[in-house]
Amino acid sequence: MRDIPTLFWRLFGAVTFLFMISPLLILLLFAFSDKKLLAFPITGLTTDWFMKIFDRPEFWAAFENSMIIVVSVGVVSTIIGIMAASALVRLRARAASVSMILLTMPVMAPPLVLALALLSYFTSVGVGLGLPMVILGHLVFTQPFVILIVYARISKFDQAIVNSARDLGASPLKAYFTVTLPNMRPTIIGAALVAMGISLDDFIITFFTIGGGNTLPTFIWGMLRKGVDPSINVVALILMTLTIGVALIALRVTRYRG
Amino acid sequence: MLPSAAVFLLVFVAPLSYFFILSFWRVKSYKLVPDVSLANYIRVFDQYHEALLFTFSIALIIAAIVTLLAFGLAFVVRFKAGRYSNLLLFGVLIALFGGYLSKVYIWKIILGQSGILNSALLGLGFIDTPLDAFLYNPAAVVITLTHYMLPLAILPIYGSLRAIDDVPLRGARDLGASRWRVFWDIIAPQCQTGIMVGFTLAFLFSAGDYVTPKLVGGPYTSMIGVFIQVQFGLRFDAPLGAAMAFSVIAVCLIIVGVAALTLRRALRVR
Repeated sequence: MRDIPTLFWRLFGAVTFLFMISPLLILLLFAFSDKKLLAFPITGLTTDWFMKIFDRPEFWAAFENSMIIVVSVGVVSTIIGIMAASALVRLRARAASVSMILLTMPVMAPPLVLALALLSYFTSVGVGLGLPMVILGHLVFTQPFVILIVYARISKFDQAIVNSARDLGASPLKAYFTVTLPNMRPTIIGAALVAMGISLDDFIITFFTIGGGNTLPTFIWGMLRKGVDPSINVVALILMTLTIGVALIALRVTRYRG
Repeated sequence: MLPSAAVFLLVFVAPLSYFFILSFWRVKSYKLVPDVSLANYIRVFDQYHEALLFTFSIALIIAAIVTLLAFGLAFVVRFKAGRYSNLLLFGVLIALFGGYLSKVYIWKIILGQSGILNSALLGLGFIDTPLDAFLYNPAAVVITLTHYMLPLAILPIYGSLRAIDDVPLRGARDLGASRWRVFWDIIAPQCQTGIMVGFTLAFLFSAGDYVTPKLVGGPYTSMIGVFIQVQFGLRFDAPLGAAMAFSVIAVCLIIVGVAALTLRRALRVR
């Protein structure tokens, strides 16, 4: 028997899910549509828009900047995040949670406010704008994710294996690098990828702190100012594929479920 | 600990402190002049109260819709979807990482006058002429931001729903409690935190956003983020912009506080 509540929930679930997913599929479809106008009906599929974008040096410049930022943010925020998480587990629970809430504040702050504060501050201090400032700006809101993920893992870590390494004569540092870290490898890779995904997707902080030049998101913004063009679909799709790809690998290595 | 603390202090605390001080300064012939005056804040509430009101209303509407839809979908995933729940959850995660600017852009091309929605409706014969009612209005902002925030709100709500033990639910039903009673007395109170996190995320982000109103909002969607951003470009009045930013944050904190209290009351076990 199909009663009405069940039917309602199925319908609701299906509609909400479609609302969430279909725009992404539409982007995928229209990146390959051969018409200049972004509308139905689709008359044929083509990869011309990809070729057009790949021929533009500005795209590759933006791509390169994105990669420089993402890799630096991934590496640095992972290293300092691990250091912070390792220190936090040694604090008392209360002190650790207060520090964690403080460090997580940049994630809750409206990006526009943080971006404009950074812009005003960097110009007033006289350090100028550019990629290093973008990387610094990204670190402050990617490190909380690394710290939270790594902290959760360390606090459940089996200290017995570290203790046995110490009993067998390893120095604390050696035990840390040969036992603790390798055992957390999936967590660390996952945390790094999450940081990279967030960094890759950021538009607002990047836009205000980069000064000159583009990353993939600011490149899309620049193209949008000149009107809608099917090549924008391609850049948006590439960006989306990269972030989703990074996220999926992160979910796989950390075996995250829900 | 040290490097993280340094990043936090140098790239968050210092800039925001400077920004806060800046909000009491003034601008004289395109130069910043240090000052200790509340003039900027008075101007914010004097000249921009309509934009503030509009922003908070639209952000509240978005946060309410997002919370409802997110709760509904999380509820379906937890209790109703059966073998499809993993698939749904996977879709949520894909949507979560689909990107911010890309999503705003997609809605721009979906809702446009010669866009995808219009052409689909034309093709299916629902309408005869393209409607220009979809894009460049507050509704477009609501749709776009709801779409962006939905997966972000689903995860915390699903997290708290998943933690609910099945046994008391069945026990209550066996002892004769109605579905509604089980829902309001057992399920709802336990996902208070998840709902509040989802609501707060959606509200804060919508209230502070300027990209969405700029790209899909049109000229009559006067959200405060757009005005804030203009002070740092065309208007060249950073102190006023900073005062706007802190006013928004202050009002947001009050609204979130009130929402938390209301929610706690609403979800109290009777």
